[in-house]
Amino acid sequence: MKAPAPRTREGKPDFSGIWFANVPAKDYCKEKDCIQEERMAREQINWGINMQGGLPYTEWSKQVMVKRRANGGRDDPHTYCKPPNYPRAWTLPQHTKIIQTPKEMVMLHEFNAAYREVYLDGRPLPVDPNPTWNGYSTGHWEGDTLVIETNGIRDDMWLDIQGSPITESGHVTERLKRTSLGLMKVQVSINDPKAYTKPWSVTIEMALQVDTQMLEEICLDNEQDVKLYQ
Amino acid sequence: MLNLLSRSCIAAGVALVAASAVWAHHSQSEFDFKSVVEVEGNVTKLEWMSPHARLYVDALDEQGRTVNWNFELPSPMTLMRRGWKRNSLKPGDHVKVKGARARHFPDIAYASVIRDGSGNPLFTGVTQIYDPQPPQSSSPK
Repeated sequence: MKAPAPRTREGKPDFSGIWFANVPAKDYCKEKDCIQEERMAREQINWGINMQGGLPYTEWSKQVMVKRRANGGRDDPHTYCKPPNYPRAWTLPQHTKIIQTPKEMVMLHEFNAAYREVYLDGRPLPVDPNPTWNGYSTGHWEGDTLVIETNGIRDDMWLDIQGSPITESGHVTERLKRTSLGLMKVQVSINDPKAYTKPWSVTIEMALQVDTQMLEEICLDNEQDVKLYQ
Repeated sequence: MLNLLSRSCIAAGVALVAASAVWAHHSQSEFDFKSVVEVEGNVTKLEWMSPHARLYVDALDEQGRTVNWNFELPSPMTLMRRGWKRNSLKPGDHVKVKGARARHFPDIAYASVIRDGSGNPLFTGVTQIYDPQPPQSSSPK
């Protein structure tokens, strides 16, 4: 896993593979001999969890987040089996599979068998995009880093479980760098003047998953939690 | 496979019940993790469906009436990656289940530890143990 990152025939880093947050298995254990197997990115809860002072919420977005958090999962689109949205999807307990071609990168996500497209063919971002769950994404190379720019995000998106918002004015930049065969760093930068007083960035590390395959998780198959939020 | 998993099951399960809040794919504030329930009975069904597998257990309540408990588990996807299969528990299996009760539904709970009739750990429902509060704060930033 420490071998150099593989490259495509065109000489670019190849991100193809199944990825999951690289969180040590013992990260959440509270027992000395805990060998808990499940891992999740801390940023699933709050993207600012390791940020000094937390995320730079505007007064408006702080009120939104506080209300959402106080309501538990009652208002979370994820509770209602709505689609996984990037960059939140990087932090979820389901896996992402990347399929990379010279002109396009496709991300498959296990939750609701979702997909995301990132165009690498040089097209510009749309000026007036139709807002969607994942927005509209294009990518370009800066050396060995793939820089993904996204706009056209829906106005009511959640970035994490506590409800940090991103709005239709948000612009997301993800910088993907495969540091070895087994690891990839994803720097997520959010520029959303309505929700945050200044742009902010958080880097999460993803680990290549080689001992599994994509497993379908269709949330609406048997959703029973919504009724519990009385 | 079950024995291989057992130590982690115990440790994680105890910690889960002790935690003030637990998060899986969504907030789980619908469960009261201070309200620990322990149920012994027979499996009636293992529902192997997303987003959460569910284990149904017939057990007697204090009045001697049979109650069919509904225990929430992680997703089948998560369980399969731990080596479980849809028939890992079968109807009629005798189990002891520990978990956190739903705040408004007395017969629904989030399973943290499942043991066989002899008390040997079989399974944990833990997918994550986490304090959701930001590290710096008494008030949200």
